[in-house]
Amino acid sequence: MAAPNLSRDPLEPLPLLEGNHTDKTINDSLLEHVWRGAGKGWWALFACALSALSLLGIAITWTLYKGIGVWGNNIPVGWAFGIINFVWWIGIGHAGTLISAILLLFQQKWRTSINRFAEAMTLFAVICALLFPLLHTGRPWFAAYWLMPYPSVQRIWPQFKSPLTWDVFAVSTYFTISLLFWFLGLVPDLAALRDSSKSKTKRMIYGLFAMGWRGSGRHWAEYKWAYLLLAGLSTPLVLSVHTIVSFDFAVSVLPGWHTTIFPPYFVAGAVFSGFAMVLTWMLPAREFLGLKHVVTLKHLNNMAKVLLVTGMMVTYGYLMEHFVGWYSGNPYEYSEFFRARQHGPMAPIYWLMMFCNCVVPQIFWSKRARTNILVLWFASILINVGMWCERFTIVITSLHRDFIPSSWKAYSPTWVDISLFIGTIGLFSTLFLLFLKFVPAVAVTEIKELRHELDHDPTAEGAGVTH
Amino acid sequence: MSCDDNHEARAKDRVRRSLPIVKSESQGAPASSSASRKLWRSIEERTRAETPGAANEFPGGAADLDGVSRRGFMQLLGVSTAVATVGAACRKPNEKIIPFVRRPEELTPGNALHFATGYALEGYTSGLLVESHEGHPTKIEGNPSHPETLGATTTTEQALILGLYDDDRAKQLRRGATPIAWPTFLSEVKGRTASLAQNGGAGLRFLTGPTASPLLADLRRRILEKFPRAKFVSYSPVAADGAIEGAKLAFGRPLMPRHHLGAAAIILSLDADFLNDGPEQTRLAREFASRREPSRDMNRLYVVEPAMTVTGAMADHRMRLRCGDVSAFAAGLCAMLSGRGLSALGPVGSLGHGAGLWDSKWLVALAADLEKNRGRSLVIAGRRQPAVVHALAAALNAALGNIGSTVEYGVPITTDPTAGVEPLRTLVDEIAGGAVDTLVVTAENPAYGGPVDFKLGQLLKRVPNVIYHGLYEDETAQSCNYFVPAAHALESWGDGRATDGVVTIVQPLIAPLWGGKTEAEVLAAFVSDGEVGTHALLQKYWSSMSKLPGNLTGSFDGVWERWLADGIVPDTGAGAEQGLAINSQALAQAAAPLLASDAALAGVEIAFAPDPKTFDGRFANNAWLQELAHPISKLTWDNVAMLSQTTADRLSVETGDMVTITCRDRTLEAPAMIVPGHADEAITLPLGYGRVHTGHVGRAVGFDATALRTSLAPWFDRGAVVANTGKRYRLAITQDHWTMSPDGRDIPPPAVEAPLAEVLNSGSMFHEELEERRGPLPDVFKPVDYSGQTYKWAMAIDLNKCTGCNACVVACQSENNIPVVGKDNVWRGREMQWIRIDRYFSGPVDEPQMINQPLACVQCETAPCEYVCPVNATVHSDEGLNEMIYNRCIGTRYCSNNCPYKVRRFNFLDYTADISPAREMGMNPDVTVRARGVMEKCTYCVQRIERKRIATRIEGRTIADGELETACQQGCPTQAISFGSLNDPTAKVTKLHADPRRYDLLHELATRPRTAYLARVRNPNPDLVKVD
Amino acid sequence: MSGGHEDSGFVARRFVLAEFATPEALLAGTRKVREAGYKNLDTHTPMPIHGLEEALGLGRPKIPLIVLCGAIAGACIAYSMIYFCNVIDFPINVGGRPLHGPPANIPITFELAVLLAGGSSFFGFFTLAKLPQPYHPVFESEDFARAAVDAYFLSVELPPEGDPAKVFAEVQAVGALSAELVTESER
Repeated sequence: MAAPNLSRDPLEPLPLLEGNHTDKTINDSLLEHVWRGAGKGWWALFACALSALSLLGIAITWTLYKGIGVWGNNIPVGWAFGIINFVWWIGIGHAGTLISAILLLFQQKWRTSINRFAEAMTLFAVICALLFPLLHTGRPWFAAYWLMPYPSVQRIWPQFKSPLTWDVFAVSTYFTISLLFWFLGLVPDLAALRDSSKSKTKRMIYGLFAMGWRGSGRHWAEYKWAYLLLAGLSTPLVLSVHTIVSFDFAVSVLPGWHTTIFPPYFVAGAVFSGFAMVLTWMLPAREFLGLKHVVTLKHLNNMAKVLLVTGMMVTYGYLMEHFVGWYSGNPYEYSEFFRARQHGPMAPIYWLMMFCNCVVPQIFWSKRARTNILVLWFASILINVGMWCERFTIVITSLHRDFIPSSWKAYSPTWVDISLFIGTIGLFSTLFLLFLKFVPAVAVTEIKELRHELDHDPTAEGAGVTH
Repeated sequence: MSCDDNHEARAKDRVRRSLPIVKSESQGAPASSSASRKLWRSIEERTRAETPGAANEFPGGAADLDGVSRRGFMQLLGVSTAVATVGAACRKPNEKIIPFVRRPEELTPGNALHFATGYALEGYTSGLLVESHEGHPTKIEGNPSHPETLGATTTTEQALILGLYDDDRAKQLRRGATPIAWPTFLSEVKGRTASLAQNGGAGLRFLTGPTASPLLADLRRRILEKFPRAKFVSYSPVAADGAIEGAKLAFGRPLMPRHHLGAAAIILSLDADFLNDGPEQTRLAREFASRREPSRDMNRLYVVEPAMTVTGAMADHRMRLRCGDVSAFAAGLCAMLSGRGLSALGPVGSLGHGAGLWDSKWLVALAADLEKNRGRSLVIAGRRQPAVVHALAAALNAALGNIGSTVEYGVPITTDPTAGVEPLRTLVDEIAGGAVDTLVVTAENPAYGGPVDFKLGQLLKRVPNVIYHGLYEDETAQSCNYFVPAAHALESWGDGRATDGVVTIVQPLIAPLWGGKTEAEVLAAFVSDGEVGTHALLQKYWSSMSKLPGNLTGSFDGVWERWLADGIVPDTGAGAEQGLAINSQALAQAAAPLLASDAALAGVEIAFAPDPKTFDGRFANNAWLQELAHPISKLTWDNVAMLSQTTADRLSVETGDMVTITCRDRTLEAPAMIVPGHADEAITLPLGYGRVHTGHVGRAVGFDATALRTSLAPWFDRGAVVANTGKRYRLAITQDHWTMSPDGRDIPPPAVEAPLAEVLNSGSMFHEELEERRGPLPDVFKPVDYSGQTYKWAMAIDLNKCTGCNACVVACQSENNIPVVGKDNVWRGREMQWIRIDRYFSGPVDEPQMINQPLACVQCETAPCEYVCPVNATVHSDEGLNEMIYNRCIGTRYCSNNCPYKVRRFNFLDYTADISPAREMGMNPDVTVRARGVMEKCTYCVQRIERKRIATRIEGRTIADGELETACQQGCPTQAISFGSLNDPTAKVTKLHADPRRYDLLHELATRPRTAYLARVRNPNPDLVKVD
Repeated sequence: MSGGHEDSGFVARRFVLAEFATPEALLAGTRKVREAGYKNLDTHTPMPIHGLEEALGLGRPKIPLIVLCGAIAGACIAYSMIYFCNVIDFPINVGGRPLHGPPANIPITFELAVLLAGGSSFFGFFTLAKLPQPYHPVFESEDFARAAVDAYFLSVELPPEGDPAKVFAEVQAVGALSAELVTESER
């Protein structure tokens, strides 16, 4: 698929939309994969996803029945896979919001083809993430509501100085806002689905969700503002959420956690892993759902650039940590970064992280790599792995060796830990496949809008060959 | 709690609470419990009425005891457990066990009572003080007025409580496989004795443990009167015969050394772990610590030993030497000293040889030190060392004029002076020769602990009648046709003597839970006194004395109650022998061949050692001890073959490798462990593991070192061949890093130590460094002001006194209902003990110095754990305690992650789910049993603080310094831990917080810990301090 | 069925739906029709069209103000809640920290502000738009199904006595492709 554009003059910008389109053709082509019945491939993937999901069910049941002891956690490693997965998923989620919100604010036209996709990913990632803060507590049946400020019989309130309490508010807010944002963007498309659906039942169902949307000019007038403002709110929100997640670590006294660079470097890491995850899913999707004309090489090219930039931000973060570890003259910091991480029992994970997050993105200096689907896909997967290793290094490697050598311990995960991780991937995939089956993967309305803009401003960057 | 005050009252109470349980019938119960007497009789009469035939089958209290203990008791416990929900603070007491008919006025339900009693180990009885709630003993303390314990306890004594409630204990008296009742047993014994009496009991033998009990001695006398040809043999697998035999060599007659470190300025230990082993350990530890204050007359400890021990860790100078070379060293020292003009040694001084085995500079310095301190020095030989070493030690002490000041010799107070292999050998021969018809075994599990070449297991099967009296259905029980379940020490009446001869009356804290019998009752059966009961026997014996010790006036009952209340019988101490003279000539002649034979030994040495936790295996089923971290290796739930780095390298063995050790055609497979400071070409094999027949806790834990232990070499042997099998073994070690490990080399040592000279010089680096580790800190916000409070609780731990014996750890576990998690969970790193003893090595692996640092929650004023808890489950009290609110905790474990000291413990699983109903009775009702998923940690024994607060409020006063002790502090033999209020300027803890040696752990983090540490001081010999 | 039934008070609303070829045509047409003095105009388009607001003569949007109020309310609620819980109702020494630690209150204050702002934006819109609204007279038109796909409609609500013919003529004049009359059905 990289073939056609290699023949093209490289100086000419890549198009945002390929081929000639009318509202009708866009409409039909983008809804086509919804109307088309589920193919073998979809069912195969769905089966895999469901089996992974059932593994999650088993792991959760066992954890709740026996206790956290079935995980590998210990003292000093009080947090392990649970928190790693939480941070990893939250990070992945962030890309969606950033793509749709920030790019919208910056009037980035190329956003429109991928934002629906990315927002959906956010939602599902956050759902996966939300499992862990609850599951990882010793008594989830209390954690579920004792974290909420309500007048309880114990006459005591949550402790608002704790980053975990901040987390509760941050993550729940994040999920709610993302959901609203996503749905609001979806309404006109649901109306389109309703109006172009063949069967009555589908019409009924989509009609129900479309809430009687009739594209009224008076509605559009408020709608644009509501959507824009939600985008405007999501942007600081997404930054704050990962900042607060990073506070879970930064606020502590632990060497390797106690550092002021965490908020920016966590956010950069979130965007990094998020874009990688978008690519991991988008590349196959555009192949099999026939979205190549809207998700063009230009989009991939841009996303690859984002990976390169954020990857370098993350690398800078690592370097800074190590520099401070040495420059501060703090023996515990030094011991953490230059002994425990590089030579300790968890060293392989550390070096894998360094490779995936610092070395791999460097290939995106080359445009051929940026526009080569396979390269992109494998790189994106490596980056996902790398970012998981980063969280492993931060959480476990920092914990397993801290101030007093007598309390140093090793850590090894159990089958439950691993099942939980695989299981959430299953949950994510299940939700995602359902999304692809029932909702247009691309924001139809916005594409139509984009087309008109391009029609009237052929000089616009990326107008490409439309007309 | 001291037991001196109002003992009169408690004495009465004691008599009443304990007597009716055991035998209300046979002793004239005080008037106030006449009602209870009625009850007992009525039950008994009912039993009679129902089963006339069983009239003689259920005499005395036995009937209802049986009834209560085995049937009703378990049912009622079932009920009580149903009532008690998990996490309930206080298990509902089961009133049925202590059948009060009317509540004695002394007892207020909910308030604990303390009873003085004793526990006999290796024949010597230590004085204990047991806390009891509603008739359930829950906590062991030392008896402050007892000369040997001085209010402290050993690790194993602390763990007795768990042993008492051990549901795995034997519960059924049996002949072969058929259960029989006690009276049946008695009648059958009667039958046997009748036939035995005909030939004066020629075929009757008794194999007992070493004992110093006057009552048992009296019973023995009576038995031997009745059966003149019967014989008694004492055996203990860890008997310290060397001392007695050594004295025989030196003085010509068996004598027992008693040491006094209070006067000792220079101490030389010849393979003697005197701080953590032997009947004198508690007192010696106290005396040793009392001379560790940094000053000019601080004592100096030289230790010569193969494997690092608690004592070796305290040494100022330590030489690692194989067991077999110690005798040569002793001789070498004699030679050195006589060479320096210590003529008193005479011919012994010319025995010296073996030079080259050790650094002669070391020996010179030692000799000089000893010489300088004549009369103020001491040479102690260990239980493993042969007679000759003890003899040479005696000679040295005599020549240095130490006898009378730091050591005295007295007549052995155990009924049999020796209890080692030799006495046993004769018995074994008799059995082999078929001369034994009836054998009564009351010794501790000889089939397991005995020399492997005696094959006692099979041998016992060849004796027609073997009666075994033991706590468990153990290895010995398998080959005996009569098994009598023993009553636990806390269930039995008895008496015993401490090393200095002081008598303690042992009284029960609770009726035998499963109808166990005492050794006295078993022996009494042979003089047809079996049904009388120990209490009666005891009173009969003591009241029959022409002149009561302590020439107390008044009725015997009054005197008796006095003895019980005090826990000691006055004026029963054994005097020291005066005017002892060494027969140097004879000693030299006797010693020469022995030394030669020792020197002849070549090859890898295997040395056996009593385990600091399971001892000789008798505590193998005690989960507290099994899960305890070994003082040196920090290993739990296992024993290992310990060897030095050098030897391990030569054999290409690493920690965790399974090795086969072959010696004298016997082979043993065991996991190896490299232990810093171990002698080269030697392997130490701890005893007491690899049990086959015991409770579910101790079964198949570790390996059985006795497989290599022959009667020829009960303690050490040479010529062993070690091979690496290539298999690996998973060891649950709680601490495998120390500051000298490469990973930790950047981290400032948490435990500070310095040589005496630097400590005394106020301008030294040491003091500068400590200033940085305590001085004032910058504040981001105003610190909370506690000066307005009545109390500002704080602790001070003197690293200079802590020997790392672990007594505090078990004391805490017992006081705070801390669960046991098992080997797998320890391996994962989830041990639960609230206080741990961190041990650090410094210096080269083979010549390390070791330092201990007890670490529990230090109660930071600006606690990092608190502000990260999302639900306010850990917050500060007004008096500065860092409190855990268990029922609020949701278990995020963030507090633990943010605790720089990592002293918080988490209930990863439901660790208290499967504890037996019996065990629940031993729980401290003042402390919540924590649920699954809850964080827990040390709270400075807040329950003790509150109890004392209530008590003092009632008296309208405040808590005085010293009257409130935490569990760890109370159990500590060396008083290394002090606790009190910093708002009391006169309090000991306040003074220690102002001590120049004080420093705060991780001070730079500004956590403001309330627990302060006092730096360890070493007192090296200036001649041996390396100048570099 | 013009006029509806006399017995019930129901008066059917009537609309003229005029379809335009392109957004631009719709924009121009709408402007003209409004200048011709017609009130109650509305457009139905598959996507927002730049300039429609002024073509329809709409005032400034109300959403921004609503959202601002939401944000302020959220912030105030959050901070006062924290202050009440930790300082007034249950003051307790937590790690020796001051009871009132402003920096520690920022995250939650911010999050709640965003939550309420976002919520008010979302629900504010649906309230203003009177959505969900399952039925609207324009749905009576067969062609209206394309309004969400690729058709651009102008709808003119007729006054009760208004004459559709005049409107047809008007929209014809401003270049509508086609026009039809839709009448609210009674149920």
